[in-house]
Amino acid sequence: MAVDANHEEKIIRSICSSHCGGTCEMKVHVRGNRIVRIESDDGEYKPRLCARGHAYRQRVYAPDRLLYPLKRTGVRGAGEFTRISWDEALETVAGEMNRIKARYGNAAMLHFCSMCDPHTLHHVGAFHRLLCQFGGYTAPWGFISHEGATFSAGVTYGTRRKFLSQSEHRLEEYLSSRLIIMWGWNPVTTEQGTLTPLFLAQSKEKGARFIFVDPRYTDSAAVFADQWIPIRPGTDGAVLIAMAYVIIQENLQDRDFIEANTIGFDQFKAYVLGLEDGAAKTPQWAEAISSVPAATIENLARAYACNKPATLATSISPGRTAYGEQYHRAAAALEAITGNLQFQNWLSAPKKKAVKFNPQLESPPNPVEAGAPPRKNALPFRGVSVNSSARVNVSLFADAILKGKAGGYPHDYKMIWLSNTNYLNQLGEVNKTVKAFQQLEFILVTEQFMTATAKMADIVLPVCTFLEREDILAPRGGGIYALLNKVIEPLGESKSQRQICQALALKLGLTDYGDKTDGEMVEHIVTRLSEEVDLPDLDSLRKQGFVFGRPKKTEGGGQPEDKKIPPTAFPTPSGKIEIRSEIAARINDPLIPAIPTYMETWESLNDPLAVKYPLQLITPHLKRRAHSQFDNLPWLRELQTQAISVNTVDADSRGIRSGDLVRVFNDRGAVRIPAKVTERIMPGVVALPQGAWYSPDENGIDYGGCANVLTKNQISPGGAFTPHTALVQIEKVGQ
Amino acid sequence: MQYGMYINENRCMGCFACVVACKDWHDVPAGPASWMRVKTIEKGKYPDLFVAFLPVTCNHCLHPACVAVCPVEAISKRPEDGIVTVDREACLGKDQCGLCLQACPYDAPQFGEEADARMQKCDWCLDRLTEGKKPICVISCPMQVIDIGPLDELRAQYGDVRETESFTYSEELAPSVLFKPKRDERNLAIGKIEVTPRVGTEG
Ligand code: SF4
Ligand code: SF4
Ligand code: SF4
Repeated sequence: MAVDANHEEKIIRSICSSHCGGTCEMKVHVRGNRIVRIESDDGEYKPRLCARGHAYRQRVYAPDRLLYPLKRTGVRGAGEFTRISWDEALETVAGEMNRIKARYGNAAMLHFCSMCDPHTLHHVGAFHRLLCQFGGYTAPWGFISHEGATFSAGVTYGTRRKFLSQSEHRLEEYLSSRLIIMWGWNPVTTEQGTLTPLFLAQSKEKGARFIFVDPRYTDSAAVFADQWIPIRPGTDGAVLIAMAYVIIQENLQDRDFIEANTIGFDQFKAYVLGLEDGAAKTPQWAEAISSVPAATIENLARAYACNKPATLATSISPGRTAYGEQYHRAAAALEAITGNLQFQNWLSAPKKKAVKFNPQLESPPNPVEAGAPPRKNALPFRGVSVNSSARVNVSLFADAILKGKAGGYPHDYKMIWLSNTNYLNQLGEVNKTVKAFQQLEFILVTEQFMTATAKMADIVLPVCTFLEREDILAPRGGGIYALLNKVIEPLGESKSQRQICQALALKLGLTDYGDKTDGEMVEHIVTRLSEEVDLPDLDSLRKQGFVFGRPKKTEGGGQPEDKKIPPTAFPTPSGKIEIRSEIAARINDPLIPAIPTYMETWESLNDPLAVKYPLQLITPHLKRRAHSQFDNLPWLRELQTQAISVNTVDADSRGIRSGDLVRVFNDRGAVRIPAKVTERIMPGVVALPQGAWYSPDENGIDYGGCANVLTKNQISPGGAFTPHTALVQIEKVGQ
Repeated sequence: MQYGMYINENRCMGCFACVVACKDWHDVPAGPASWMRVKTIEKGKYPDLFVAFLPVTCNHCLHPACVAVCPVEAISKRPEDGIVTVDREACLGKDQCGLCLQACPYDAPQFGEEADARMQKCDWCLDRLTEGKKPICVISCPMQVIDIGPLDELRAQYGDVRETESFTYSEELAPSVLFKPKRDERNLAIGKIEVTPRVGTEG
């Protein structure tokens, strides 16, 4: 290891593993077993740490870190616990699991873990292996972040792979774009790796024009925007479809591309022109819905069709609305009919040679899913397990617990195990989730902090941070590899996720979970991967940051890069990009139409509810948090106040000034927090950053500013989480 | 010789990585003292807006007002690189004195929230500079906004722009900072998106 001669500090490498989507390189300075500071890697194209990564020392040594197993002593939610031994904790957990299994069956157990500190050894696989060996459990389906995007990519391209390019085009692609339309995308705040804004800056410096379509003038707009087009939440699909109208009317579509690579253009055209429903989807039609002026829509359409290569950088955020799938479907159609898709990932990337070895922990099939038919909205590229109707959508745990079989769910649920997820805080309708959790017979939470979710638990087990255990970043199919060193020993009695599963397996009498240590597992994975991938040896891996591992050459050499589009490039029924989707058509649900269709959201401004609650709430990210992570760290808390952004017009009519305490409310709950009066949000829309920790008073009013107190517990027909579809009212309560 | 700082304001995204990296490196606790600060500049009315971010530290002025007013010579300017340092032992504290804070037009002197807090401020990471490393804010900025080095070299590389939207150059103090300023381009947005004329016909 490198030694800093002046300070006698060792530098140990890791990869920041917070749930932001980025994996930035970290040089951790340690003295003995203590982290003393954290440095970025300043290599020219290394992702440098953001504020959260730099604050990580405060997270490891936070006075409120959970370091010992805890047993609840007060009522659920009160946060009263007493320290117990690991043995007593695991004994209790195993006892409850055995009891619930015997009485209600394995399916009565729900489990979910988030993307906090994930990678290979400590993610869902660790739990899945244990629970399947135990006889099964009810697993979730759906991505909280991007199920709308995943679903629409699935029905349009037959794969989820392509969707990533909608907001994460290969970074080099930005550099060759003439026009970049940032649709609801604010990478400066959400980060997704700090190289993204750097590449965008370089694109701008090279002359790319940036148009932002967003209800807010975000910090990304501040840095990059040449033009800002404010849009009503939930109406993105209408504007995209009206853009298609302009393009078709003016004959700006790429006929060759459409002919060669797509099916269903004619049906889409018929819908857009209103040949069937008599309603042409004109810019005037979209203006009335979205508040974007018709002339602006026309210009936007022409700019996108005529400035190739243009990138439609559609964020996954507008997909987190009611019918969010349709926004992604419309964007995909627009990319295809203008031929701008050609320029992207899927078509230009050479096929990666798959690496056979799968570093994820193996698991037997989940017995709970055996024999269960696929869900109605199952997607062909997903495995039978994920498609199984025995699963519950990740957003609907509260509803499933409250209603069970009687409400059409596959089972009655009696226990939940939540790992590294502040579930209660981060999914729709907190007060409903509280009610649901109160009904459960047993709640197990494995966590680093006493979150609102942990407060509901019967037993809380302390998990160490990623700096206190080993892991490896090892995608299948080649790519970027990195070793996450154990920088210090775990604090207190905290353990890694996998160690917890190992210990619990023994208590449950499961002998084949595996007794290798995390370190031995990493070694094993590196050895196995080295058979197929060109990787440096273990010792070099420990000292380097990211390395690029290429699959080893086999006889005949690698495939030549074929930039031409093969006729059956897409694993759809037709082998083409399906603007009219056969997969969607087979689902046979009017709310999942075969053609990208604008559908008005629930709780839109036309809803009678809007009389009582006239403001549309959106719940964006805050740069000092990654979802609910980091909310408790002093270095980060002081950077930004948790507040609700309100346009001056809406604030004035309510007598609200910046800093005033306001009540934000609807029928689902109420939050009391300061207002931030700003010109940077469209009138009629308010933004409450998600992730602040739910802290209710005795009347259930939340003083923490948790946005999901106000959001609805309802999924979009394709399965998307819908936090950006909610109506609220605000009123001043103090200064 | 005089060290200086260059800031490409066009690139700053207000991410605070530099702020927290600085607090971590120099062990500055959360609280009012922050050697590196990031200002937000917001102008205009919805929807015609201008927003910029500007990182600010001590400017290590050629003629530092803080040095001149300090009654106990706790602040000094190093002849070899022009960096202005503070001797916290000698400092009389904010409650007793605080003259440097009044004298500095750039709010650079920093005080913690403890009683009689002593002055602290950015020293352009002297510890790192003496090891031949760039300051921590320079190497931690994801957008590569900041550079710190000999002022004449920076001038040669980046030009000699001394002012920007929220930063006024003081002739008297001669702060050692250069900018690539972010221009307020409101009203220029129209027409900036070039649109190719129609290529097809109705149909
Ligand atoms: S910026 Fe202020 S504190 Fe820094 S040298 Fe100049 S006068 Fe002194
Ligand atoms: S130069 Fe060093 S001390 Fe000054 S702001 Fe940057 S990191 Fe902080
Ligand atoms: S790290 Fe760079 S981009 Fe971020 S606030 Fe500081 S100067 Fe600006």
